[in-house]
Amino acid sequence: MLYIKCPFCGMRSQNEFAYGGDASVKRPELNKDVSDKEWDDFVYNRKSLRGKHIELWHHVSGCRQWFKAQRDTATHEIFKTAMMNEEI
Amino acid sequence: MNSISSLKNVHKLGLYGDHNDKNENQIIKIKEIKNINLFQVVKYKNTEKNISNFKIDGLNLPNANKTSSNPSTRIIWMGPDNWFVFSSKDTRENLNNFKETDFAITDLSHSRSIIELEGEMIYEVLKKGSPLDVGKLKEGNCANTVYNGITITLDFISNDPNTIRIFGLRSFGESLYHSLTDSCLEFGYKSI
Ligand SMILES: [Zn+2]
Repeated sequence: MLYIKCPFCGMRSQNEFAYGGDASVKRPELNKDVSDKEWDDFVYNRKSLRGKHIELWHHVSGCRQWFKAQRDTATHEIFKTAMMNEEI
Repeated sequence: MNSISSLKNVHKLGLYGDHNDKNENQIIKIKEIKNINLFQVVKYKNTEKNISNFKIDGLNLPNANKTSSNPSTRIIWMGPDNWFVFSSKDTRENLNNFKETDFAITDLSHSRSIIELEGEMIYEVLKKGSPLDVGKLKEGNCANTVYNGITITLDFISNDPNTIRIFGLRSFGESLYHSLTDSCLEFGYKSI
């Protein structure tokens, strides 16, 4: 079983969490012209890399907060987690 | 307050499971908690108010994974800037100084099924359905977790004797009750 350290609740089982996707994706700036390519990249295109990845998780059956996690997509090792307003 | 029980069709008083040749203290006791006021208190992100200046029925709003309590009121940490206040008193009066510009106060009194377990083996009952590391938690702690897939809140009330309150969404009440009592059978339990 995978354990994830929620920045608010501490170490908890993965059963309590929901995966929220790539945390490095930035929304195009508001009120700016957006090309189809930029919009595609924001909505669909992902690197899906093998190795260290920064992703979003939701402590859905816990404190219900979103946070960031740095995880190795090959080994599933989680290196660190951080609140949304923190750098990781 | 006189609320309609969400467990009245399943919570039948009596002795169940492996209770033969065991005394009262060796089996688990199961009780439904009802007729209790429950308010959710959420502090808005944009308010400057410092929660250490706010008290409810003389109690501070507790930090992460903690509760604060007195004989009439219990406050449970639910998440950052988010608490559940259970009280046998009319809690609304206690919340008068929580202005609506700073806090969201919601009456959830009828929203939860509350099941209280008491007995030496109740931590074993929790372990059967929940991934929570209950060994680290004791009186004064609380946690949100899952039990056989149902999201629950645990309030660790006492370690002498071991007593835990389990809150589930009301519509999951009967299912949660069945899961818990099923896990209690091997230890023997008494519905009170
Ligand atoms: Zn959490």
